[in-house]
Amino acid sequence: MTDGSIEAVRRKTRLRLTFTGVHLLLYFSFTLNWTAWGTVLGDRLGATQVTGSLLMFVLLVCIFIVLETIFLVISQRSER
Amino acid sequence: MKRHTLLRGVFGSLLLLTPVLVFAAGSLDGTEGQQAINPTAITMFLLFVAFTLYITWWASKATTTSSTFYNAGGQISGAQNGLAIAGDFMSAASFLGITGLMYVGGFDGLILSLGAFGAWPVLMFLFAKRVRNLGSFTFIDVISQRLDRNPIRVVTAFSTILIVIMYLIAQMVGAGKLIQLLFGLPYEVALLLVSGLVLAYVAFGGMLATTWVQIIKAGLLLTGVTLIAILLLADSGFSISNLLGKATANHPKGAAILSSGVIFDDPVQILTIQISMLFGTVGLPHILMRLFTVPDMRQAKLSAYYASLFIGYFYIALLVLGFGSIAYVAGAPEFFDAGGKLIGGSNMAAIHVATAMGGDILTGFMSAVCFATILAVVAGLTLSGAAAISHDVYAEVLKKGKPDAATELRLTRISVFVIGLAAVLLGIAFQEENIAFIATIPMVVSASVTFPILFLSLFWGGFTTRGAIVGAGVGLVSSIILIVLGPQVWVSVLGHEEAWFPYDYPALFTMPLSVMVMVWVSKSDRSARAVVDRDNYEKLLVRSEFGQSEMTAAEA
Repeated sequence: MTDGSIEAVRRKTRLRLTFTGVHLLLYFSFTLNWTAWGTVLGDRLGATQVTGSLLMFVLLVCIFIVLETIFLVISQRSER
Repeated sequence: MKRHTLLRGVFGSLLLLTPVLVFAAGSLDGTEGQQAINPTAITMFLLFVAFTLYITWWASKATTTSSTFYNAGGQISGAQNGLAIAGDFMSAASFLGITGLMYVGGFDGLILSLGAFGAWPVLMFLFAKRVRNLGSFTFIDVISQRLDRNPIRVVTAFSTILIVIMYLIAQMVGAGKLIQLLFGLPYEVALLLVSGLVLAYVAFGGMLATTWVQIIKAGLLLTGVTLIAILLLADSGFSISNLLGKATANHPKGAAILSSGVIFDDPVQILTIQISMLFGTVGLPHILMRLFTVPDMRQAKLSAYYASLFIGYFYIALLVLGFGSIAYVAGAPEFFDAGGKLIGGSNMAAIHVATAMGGDILTGFMSAVCFATILAVVAGLTLSGAAAISHDVYAEVLKKGKPDAATELRLTRISVFVIGLAAVLLGIAFQEENIAFIATIPMVVSASVTFPILFLSLFWGGFTTRGAIVGAGVGLVSSIILIVLGPQVWVSVLGHEEAWFPYDYPALFTMPLSVMVMVWVSKSDRSARAVVDRDNYEKLLVRSEFGQSEMTAAEA
């Protein structure tokens, strides 16, 4: 076990915690819908019936998957 | 009064999502009722059973050792395992419960979808690779590599068995009620049928059969929701805006269902649900166990990734189904009884929307899928409970990691039968009880005990055995106390007017408390064992990222 391998693990740990932090920030931002700050999310988008709240839900699901894809790609590159 | 009724329904649906089917807890604004016997449903279900029993027979020939029994020999691919994880998690409860909650409250029901989905990225970022590299069969293998193996195995095996038993009781009661409702079978017969089939899958086919049952069921469920969503959108001119417009026109709350506030108005309630759902799911033993069924760490990460794709897709499809149920069920008199109540209650909204879109055939298909779903979830739970008893307690604690292989496998199968029998007996015993609190316990205990121990073991060098045990005890006791003082026990079971603690899911408070105690006790721990625990960290850290083989090569 070398200092190099420990440093490599620490780098990976920072990466893991950063992605988790970003994910949790986005995840808990959904609570805004139930606060006064998120009132604007209840508005409809243009002439459609779709509200900002509904769009936020779909976008969050998609962003989480994109985050995972980026994480997977970065991890695979660092393993090569 | 209206709000009280709504909340009862909400928590009925939360229970559904855990995943638990607790129709006993009452449904929203509907009636309990029984569907007419549907020959299509029964035929499709029998086909599913015949096929999965054939798979079990095939798997039983390969299940000759503990390794093949617990982790299918580690030969499941990442994509297959991702689908199996999705199958383990996308329960009938998610399908029926979230659609039912959206039928009642529109957008507010989506908090459960996001809550459940949010766990998968965390599983991938933090645990998938490290847990796979360090463990063999259960997550307890991972933490016992660093902490004092006997006490930590006993504590975590206890929490695992508690989670599994509570989960099983709620599952069995819900399954009995659901099958009674969908197929017209008596409650006890439904329990015996579920238990008998699960025993066959697990006892003879082990993880291999369980995995394939979950894969098939996930495929069927995704096919079903996709079909219903396409039919709903097609009928609305493939415009989600048109579908939402029909829904708002049918719902008494009108356009308010397209944003927050119909069911929930307290952001703290939302936060505590989110924390329970996310961290509770990540710490569930039967979900973590699935990470060991793949051959290597790369496939473990891919498993979590594929699971996210399938589960994310499923919840977006449920958004269409939820609003579709308001648009096509709420205004259709054939789904209501003479008193104007929804037949079967709001939890049946998903089945009714299938009927509205696809008639008897789609109704039969979705009913059979719900039954298959229950079997898959109960099978995963039973396997996890049996592994905690035979592997974690017998093989690793009592036999110090050197068990007789044949005895261990025999004990595993006996454990499966005991758990199956207990599930039926407890299911019958709790048939008429309000078991809402029993279904809450697994998620809160998982978030307050399992998750903190696993996270701190893998990410904090100062963590010690004493900190883990004291923190786990505080997490467990505080979870139980706050659940008892909360509305589900204090008001619904004990009949008091007002709860001492206002939230049903106390993880927002118990999880941080548990983590703080773990950190504080670990920091003040001056024992000889604490030195070993801290010294073990760097070695564990490197092995968790690079695997045992690379460690061995480096040391050579």
